[in-house]
Order: sequence, then C-alpha cells, then structure tokens
Amino acid sequence: MKKEPIIELSHVTKIYGEYEKSVIALNDVSLKIFPKEFIAVTGPSGSGKSTLLHCMGLLDRPTEGKIFIEGRDVSRISGKDIAVLRGKKIGFVFQSHNLIPRLTVIENVILPGLIAGRKRVELEKKAIELLREVGIEHRAKHRGAHLSGGEQQRVAIARALINDPIIVLADEPTGALDTESSKEIMDLLEEMNKNRGVTVVFVSHDPEIARYGRRRIELVDGSVTYDGVNR
Amino acid sequence: MSISRSFAWSEIKEHKLIYTVIILVIAFTMASFLLENAYINYMMQVVNETVKNVTADVIITNPDCDVRDLYGTETTMKNAGEIARLIEERFPGYKASVRVTAQATYGVGLANESADGCTLQGIDIHDDVMVESLKKKIVAGRFFRDDDPILRGHTPLYIKINAPGNLPDIVYGAGQRLLREDEPYPVIVGAAAAKVHPSIISVGKELDLYICASARGANYASIRVKIIGLYESGTPTIDAMIWFIPADSLREIKCYGKVKGRSWIIPGIGSFHGFNPIEVDRNMGDAVIVKVPPPSISIDPIGYSEEVKRRIQSIVPDLKVFSWHDLLVYGAGSMQDVVTILLWGSMGVTLLLCGAAIKYVMDSIIIRKMREIGSLKAFGARDRVIFKIFLYQGLFIGSLSGVLGILIAILVMKIVNWYGISMQFIAGTQLKIGFVVNWFTVAISIILPILLSIAAASIPAKKAAMLPPVEALRRGEISL
Repeated sequence: MKKEPIIELSHVTKIYGEYEKSVIALNDVSLKIFPKEFIAVTGPSGSGKSTLLHCMGLLDRPTEGKIFIEGRDVSRISGKDIAVLRGKKIGFVFQSHNLIPRLTVIENVILPGLIAGRKRVELEKKAIELLREVGIEHRAKHRGAHLSGGEQQRVAIARALINDPIIVLADEPTGALDTESSKEIMDLLEEMNKNRGVTVVFVSHDPEIARYGRRRIELVDGSVTYDGVNR
Repeated sequence: MSISRSFAWSEIKEHKLIYTVIILVIAFTMASFLLENAYINYMMQVVNETVKNVTADVIITNPDCDVRDLYGTETTMKNAGEIARLIEERFPGYKASVRVTAQATYGVGLANESADGCTLQGIDIHDDVMVESLKKKIVAGRFFRDDDPILRGHTPLYIKINAPGNLPDIVYGAGQRLLREDEPYPVIVGAAAAKVHPSIISVGKELDLYICASARGANYASIRVKIIGLYESGTPTIDAMIWFIPADSLREIKCYGKVKGRSWIIPGIGSFHGFNPIEVDRNMGDAVIVKVPPPSISIDPIGYSEEVKRRIQSIVPDLKVFSWHDLLVYGAGSMQDVVTILLWGSMGVTLLLCGAAIKYVMDSIIIRKMREIGSLKAFGARDRVIFKIFLYQGLFIGSLSGVLGILIAILVMKIVNWYGISMQFIAGTQLKIGFVVNWFTVAISIILPILLSIAAASIPAKKAAMLPPVEALRRGEISL
C-alpha cells in the first residue's frame, strides 16, 4: 500500500518584502515528506533552508501555494487553529536550543504539553522517560541555563518529542555545538527516528552533518535543485 | 497555575527590582488616597455633628445676610414658617425648621473673670431637624423639657434712650435685670466652653447673657440663663461658640410676637414698655434650616450640598441660601479643599507616570524576550496566551499595589490613632485627628491600580501577542 505524505508542499513560494525590495525565499517548491523519513535540507547560506522549515512547521505562511498536513490543507486556516496544530503535530529543535533559562530541565520539556492543555502529572512522567532516552535524566531538576550546549540541545530534543509530534523540524541543530557534541546530537536524532519512528527534517550547511540524512533536499536560490537519496 | 499566570509571575520575580519600585509608588499613592479620603470622611462626620447643628444641609436667610451672619446675626424673617412649609411641600422628604438666632456675651462686668461670646441657636425643642442629633451629643445634664421656663410670661423691658443731636438712639431690653425673681431661661452649652471657662460654665450654673436682640439695629437685652446641659460634637471651636436655647425663649427675648405691654414715654429721654406677656409668633425667625435625605452613594458630599443648594435657591430666588460647606469654608478656610484638589491631582499624575513606567518596562521585556515569545508560539501558544502573560503581570502589579496601599494606610491610621495627633484650635481647644474608612474607597484602592496596570500592560501585551512567530524567533536570534 502506498504511504500517504504527512506533509506536502505544493508550488509553495515565499516572498519577503514588496516591490523592488522583495526577496524570493522559496520559489515554487513542491515536495512530500513521508512518515519515518530522516531528511537533510542543505544549501548555501540564504538559499531558503530555514524558510522552508518555517513553512513546513507552520511558523510562516507561504505567499503562494498550498501546504497539507496529513492531507489537510492548512494554507488558509485561522491563526488560532494553526497554533493548536503546530503545538500538537510538530516538534521544533532550534540552533540555540531556546530553553527558558529560569525553568528547570523537566519544566522546559513539559512546556509544549502544558500549552497543549495536557495534565502536568502525565507530562512529567513522559518527560522523565524522554530525558532518560536522551541521556540527561540526572539533570531533570537543574535549570536550563546551568547545562552545557550539548546537554541543552538534548533537552530541546526531549521537549520536541513531548507531544508525540508527527515530525521534528531541526534548524541547524548542531550550529552552536563543537564537533563531538554535534555528532552526539545527530546520533540521538537518528536514534529517535529509528526507535520512535518520528520523522525528522533537519537543516544544515555542514556536509558532515548533512550526511546523516537518508534523503537530502538541496535548495539553491529558493528552488529545489536536488531531492533524493543522500549519497 | 496556567502557563500565562506562571510566566507572568516569573517575569515579575525576574524584574523584581523595577517592579517593586513601581508597586511601592502606586501603593504609597493609593495609601495617600485612602488616608486623605478617610480623613475627609472623618472631617465630614465632624462637620455633620457640628457645623450642621447651625446650618443642617442648607440654611436660608434674608438677602442682606452673608456667611458671617450665620453665626447668629441673621436679620428677621417675618415669614420664616411659611418658607419652611413651602420647602417641605415642594421637596417631599426634605425637612425644614425655623431657627431664631442671636449673638451674646457672657461674663461681662464680672470681677476677675474673662468675658467671651457665643451664638445662641434658638431651636424648636420638639420639631427642629437637628433635635435628635443634639440629644445624642449631650455629655452632661439633659436636653430641654416642656416644664422648663421656656416662656417666662412677660415682655422683657425695653428702654429706648433718645440720643442728643445726630448720635444714634440706644435701645436696651433688660427684662430679667428688673425682675430678678423670674426663673432663668434654660440653655445647653458646648462642653468646650465649659473647659475654657470652668468657673462660669458648668451644669446648674446661672449667668447673665448680654444679647444682641436685633441684627442691624442697636437692640440689646440682658437676660439670665441657667445651664441645664453640656454637649460635645467633635469640633471644640464650634462647641465653644454655639449654645442652644428654646426658639420660643429667644422669640420672647427678641420680641418676635404681639407685644401687649404698656408703653411709657418720658419726654426728652426716651420710652420704655414691657412687664406684660407677649404672644410669640412662630412664623417669625432668623433663618430656615433644611435637612435633606442623603444621596444613595456618598462620593462627593460637597458637590451634593451644592446641588441641594441650587435646588432650594430655585424655590426662594429672593433669599440667600448657604450650604454647610459655605460655613465650613468661612470658618476653617478652603485650604482643605485646595489640598484635596492638589493631592488628587498629584495622585493622578503619579498613577499616569506609573502606568507609563509599566508600559516601558514591559516593552523592554518584550525586546529582550523576543526569542522566548517566538519559542512559545512555536510550541503552540496562541496569541491570547502571550497576551495574557503580560496582562497577568499588570493584574499582579495592580493587586499587589492595591493591597500594599491598604496595608500602609491601615498602618498609618494605627500610628496616628496610637500617638493621638491633634489639631490645635483657638482658645486652647483641640480636635483629635481621626479616620473614617469608606468601603467604597477601599474598593477603589484595589480596583484603580488593577485597572491602571492592566491598561498599561495591554499595549505591550497586544504588541507581543501580534508578533508573527518567525519574526519573534528571528529577532530573538539577532538580539542574542
């Protein structure tokens, strides 16, 4: 049986600014993301990698084209519904972790769950499980600000998974880490993809990191120049 | 605790220094508001119990009277009773009474005794609008009774001496001096007067009063009175000045009625008449006092008194109408009103500045927390969650300020009460400063800072809520 895409972009164009100052960040991009894929988005700086991720993650609306999440056209739904959908279906890992420094590790992890309206007790149980998987359970009660960069990114991965999203979008997840930590984070994301079956799309300009993706999408000037098996 | 509340509280904790300053400023402002209001309420209570003994809510006099005349020199109103009835007919619920008033001096001519003046308020011992209020203030002796010698049954003797040349004639009414066996008129005196002149004034003592029996003419009467009671209202200066006597006694003294006495004329000297009873005319008096039902909400008693004054003035356009506030301003000056206006003005400016401070602090928080706002939005937080984070900060700041303001005000009231701070008045009398808390103003002290800080927070809150998530994340990255 043919698998249905979890995210589909159909002729998506994103233009920033107006008139002569306008910049085409994405130009007629069409692609499908299937369950359990591990995808690297590559391309030179300013090629539209982050914009693609933002559009896929419903953080930004395309200027033209349609986006489907599990077959549902989300291009024109209200901001309120978009927020709810984003919280439940999509997990984010940012380059600079974006942990709330005054919160503890476990509080950071359960934050998306609390926003989604889930019960704290249930979330804390799940957060401990996730922290164990990312190897940082012993730091659960520490404040986010007291962790190393690699540890913070592990927490961010656990946080991205708390709502059992259909996809995790990671924007330069190793951009702020040293080589050793970068490798650990990518191994962790790969492990999550294999063990939990969660789809991962990550952006990286580093060829060594991009090599982790089983599929690679390459962007140049906002257009997809390669979409296939990562060699 | 919801995400919005929890984030709002943690923001307040994170910015505790600047927020503490803002909270303290608002709290002290609200404490000043409460204290000022409680003090005004207390003074209002004092006014109700003192000045209103003279004026009730408003007082009507002849057109040639000014506010100074309210202390006993109003000119005769021949139709005072009719005016009182007219007021009661036109304004159901209003109660009007005729007052007979006079100024008097006591202790005149006594060896080694000081002399002082007083204002005699002749009140109807049954129907005057302030009778019940006065009865409650009696601290020694008793109130008037029907068997008191209210009418002594004769006309005080009046002697008119024709002055030579252009000099004015002099008229004396000196009945009791000629008829020493008569019972003295009963009077009730302010306890403050008894403290000032203990050798002359106490319950049971008799003394002579030298009375100005007409406001504009040179008409005087010397009468003997007996102090049957002392009252205490709260304002010693007024207590020392205002004495009460039955209205009919004063009518008899001032000859308000039909004089039956025989007249004698001594050529070249003058004339005198008296000895026979007069038939007092209860339609005659010197002023009409009016008591009105209190307003449903007492926020602006001065404004209400002015409104009542205008209403009554429309019925008696040819007469003078004064409010209790007019007499208060005359007696104590309008300094209190000016201070109140200045205080309220400065409180308004302070609160506006605090509102501006809250807005700018939150604006700076938004700039510094852009990435956090973007992250929350990425995790599914709706615009209203972000909006509420800032709104709750406003709510917390406002609530804390209000509660702290009330606590500060209570503390100051306790300290003032404990120390017993007093205002010094003339003649050695003093008024202990007190506070009467109005629950309406307590509610305002909580609600006003909350509304202010929520209003101030709503501008940055809306700005943060409307931020597109990508924009917030991007600007947050840039600010790192």
